[in-house]
Amino acid sequence: MCGIAGVIYKDKKTHPVGEALTSMLESLQHRGPDSAGYAIYGSLDFPENYYQLNIEVKRRRGALDNLKSLLNQISPIFEEELIESVGDSDVYKCKIALDEYSLLKPCINEIDELKNVRVINGSHSFEMIKDTGKVKDIAERFDVKSIMGTHGIGHTRFATESGVDRYHAHPYQSYIIPDITVVHNGQITNYWKIRDPLERKGHTFESFNDTECIVHYMADKLDQGYKLEEALDQAVIDLDGPFSILVGTPNGIGIAKDKLGLRPGVMVETDEIFAIASEEMALHDVTDSDKIEQIAPGETRAYTI
Amino acid sequence: MKEYLIDAKDMDEKELNRAIKEHAQNYDKLIIDNPDSRHNICAGLTEDVDIEINGSAGYFVGTMVHGPRIHINGNAGWFAGDNMTNGELVIEGTAGDGAGQGIYGGTVIVKGSVGSRTGEIMKGGTVIIGGNSGFMTGLLMMGGRLIILGDVTEDVGESIMRGSIYVLGSVKSLGKNAVMEKVSPEDQKELKETLSKYGFELSDTDYANFKKIVNIQ
Repeated sequence: MCGIAGVIYKDKKTHPVGEALTSMLESLQHRGPDSAGYAIYGSLDFPENYYQLNIEVKRRRGALDNLKSLLNQISPIFEEELIESVGDSDVYKCKIALDEYSLLKPCINEIDELKNVRVINGSHSFEMIKDTGKVKDIAERFDVKSIMGTHGIGHTRFATESGVDRYHAHPYQSYIIPDITVVHNGQITNYWKIRDPLERKGHTFESFNDTECIVHYMADKLDQGYKLEEALDQAVIDLDGPFSILVGTPNGIGIAKDKLGLRPGVMVETDEIFAIASEEMALHDVTDSDKIEQIAPGETRAYTI
Repeated sequence: MKEYLIDAKDMDEKELNRAIKEHAQNYDKLIIDNPDSRHNICAGLTEDVDIEINGSAGYFVGTMVHGPRIHINGNAGWFAGDNMTNGELVIEGTAGDGAGQGIYGGTVIVKGSVGSRTGEIMKGGTVIIGGNSGFMTGLLMMGGRLIILGDVTEDVGESIMRGSIYVLGSVKSLGKNAVMEKVSPEDQKELKETLSKYGFELSDTDYANFKKIVNIQ
């Protein structure tokens, strides 16, 4: 299974997206008990070339000091916070500056070389929160309900293939273009057919998770000039297997459903919001409207602000 | 008529179904408020009772029931009425994929549109859809009647073995083993009796315009 949810506010103003997505994901908790995550856009009001890094740090002597030492060689640390988490590690969140976006992925790679740390993500316009455990606990741990934004996507994970840990929780992000994320319910059965040409183009993969493959695929299409709707339409043609894919970008969200419609997806659109979820119960967390639409096999829907 | 109100607001699925089964034995009608799209509502219910659900139901509402008459003032998720053997399930709004999946008897009525694979592997009974129905409607159908008042998309009656699919609107394409025929006067009479019973008002011209889809023989 897995649960997916997304909401975008049409007035382009910030709203309590963290609270809205938390309610939606709690309604979808039964679809995925392993881990959960969010990408909340419009939440970081950063100057150009400022980035937020979320880094998993094991509770080993010197690990955090070594990380900060390296970070200070790359950029001043403008803000920082250590969030206690589960297992043997915590999440270190910080704000840094780089000369340009192209330096973000090399910066992440350099940090990943350190022992006992792993970068969860780096972003400019959205806040990524993902961890193992239940939605309620993760929301409390990261104070998600206080996060304001214009839109966002979220996920409850029922792992079927790759490991259950903080990194493999959704959303996944690609650095081919800035700030694109994907959550996904399903399996991509022609995974290698999609991954091989992307790797030959020089895009790097960090895992064998098919959602990572999808986010690189979508980022590559958007990088080629496809609009979000066009990239989603092409995904329906190119990707095999059962899937409902929910994509987040700095100005929109969109869903694509496989040709046979083997994974669920419903949506609602009002004057105020456009929302998507695996099940209707999650939509009622953000609207009283009963104008619920079933997303048809092979259908794509998107909304951009 | 003895009625009992169940407020499902703070109940989980099992608590709600336990309450339904307990009170169905002592009351003629149960009213369920705040269903909040919970799954499996009324699963396995065999009492002769009226159930009114005020709000939307989730997946598998009315699955494996034998006898109750369930009325939903809202929408339903996937597999509404799955494997029902007797009874009635009326959904005032829309439903997801697999409405009426695998029913052996009884009647499933969705007033609005539904998702894909409506009435798949149904063996008997009647499924009525007031709106449109999606991909592979009547997939692997083995019996019963599936009546669609709106349009249907691709591969209607895919691998149908027995039973009949009636469509008033347009049919995008037929599935393998399916063939389309004109409706007979007997078919029209039967359709009129069935649809009138559930408040669908159609003209004689409409009844004559139904298309009947069956196994190619």
